[in-house]
Amino acid sequence: MLELLPHLLHQALFGAFAAAGFGVLFNFGFRALPWCAGAGALALAVRTLGQDMAWSLEGASFAAAIVTSCAVSILRRQLGPACNAVALSGCIPMVPGAFFGQALLGFFALTAPNPDDAVVTAIMAVEHILRVVFTLGAIGAGLAIPAQLLRNQDF
Amino acid sequence: MESNSDPIIVRHRELETYANAALRLGRVMMECGASVSVVHAGMRMVVQGFGVDDVSMRSGYASLEMTLHVGGTTITRMLQVGRLGVNHRLDQAVRQLAVRASKGGMAVDEVDAELARLVRDTPRHPAWVVAVAVGIACASFGRLLGIDWLAFGPVLVAGCIGQYVRHQLLHRGVNVFIVAGVIAFLSATLGGIGAMLLRSSSVNLAMMASILLLVPGVPSTNAQTDIMDGYPTMGSARAVWVLMIMIFAAVGVWFAEALLGLRS
Repeated sequence: MLELLPHLLHQALFGAFAAAGFGVLFNFGFRALPWCAGAGALALAVRTLGQDMAWSLEGASFAAAIVTSCAVSILRRQLGPACNAVALSGCIPMVPGAFFGQALLGFFALTAPNPDDAVVTAIMAVEHILRVVFTLGAIGAGLAIPAQLLRNQDF
Repeated sequence: MESNSDPIIVRHRELETYANAALRLGRVMMECGASVSVVHAGMRMVVQGFGVDDVSMRSGYASLEMTLHVGGTTITRMLQVGRLGVNHRLDQAVRQLAVRASKGGMAVDEVDAELARLVRDTPRHPAWVVAVAVGIACASFGRLLGIDWLAFGPVLVAGCIGQYVRHQLLHRGVNVFIVAGVIAFLSATLGGIGAMLLRSSSVNLAMMASILLLVPGVPSTNAQTDIMDGYPTMGSARAVWVLMIMIFAAVGVWFAEALLGLRS
């Protein structure tokens, strides 16, 4: 377990930076940015732990989103109605944008006049797009379920 | 002059001011990235504060509609919605305004004036701060994807420049999809050239990480939220928008890879 710690800390640290960076883009105030960073670190830590236990990316993302959403729900007295937004910002580093791009580039490659390894390219592209759909679904469901069950207030 | 004293017309005019105030508030919430159910709840709170309980609403991607019914008088009004973005601080401030309005005691003019003040005065981070933050986020995304440390700096710089140019282009009213394609090309090219010059072993990943500022994370989760909340039309529209952004971004990356000789 200890040998996994540096990787876990690395993922949590850069998850925190990514979430806080996007928090600035989304115009979170400076007081809310540490919460975004904390949510990002938590989400990436849980996802990394899940993947280290050989869970799929989708399963690990689902668990990470649920844990993050539950954590901000516990903190809703401090965060107020912004708690759902903080959870979402924490999960943004898990959005599979790179898979999305690679899937589309794969589909572009298939339409070339004489594609190399068309079958392999097609399978890779389909695999990537399925991962995008399932991972986005996992994140969305993982965020929504605790928020609905714990009745987080939007206002 | 007769029409001004006609009680039905007077009531219509009154309801129209209620509807327009609620629609304006809903428009700001929508443009700030709120989901449809939250926008509808906010609009409902405002008109309930004015004493109207019978409310129906409909949301399209680019418009909001509201029907108010009081004592046999019914009106329907529609308002166009602008480009959908994400602005957390303004969104939260407008939600607080909806809560205040729902308690009653605020006149239509007061709600309108307060909304205008919030739109005008709610602070935004300076463009350069956002650019640096987005650059750091892209480089962090890159590390999560597995880029080596040699590519970290180029991705950070490419993300910064990409975000700054995107801000300028959107500010000038350039089409959001064109912006996605242009920024993807620019950022991927800069990130790729930097990674190549520093002899990184993860040039392709660095190019992909450089464009992650374009990935519409909030709209894609909002699409799902809207569908789960019973608004599949809006959710589908958001999903199509996300797909279009990603297609344009992928085209930009494709051209960048071709320019750098990474694509046969």
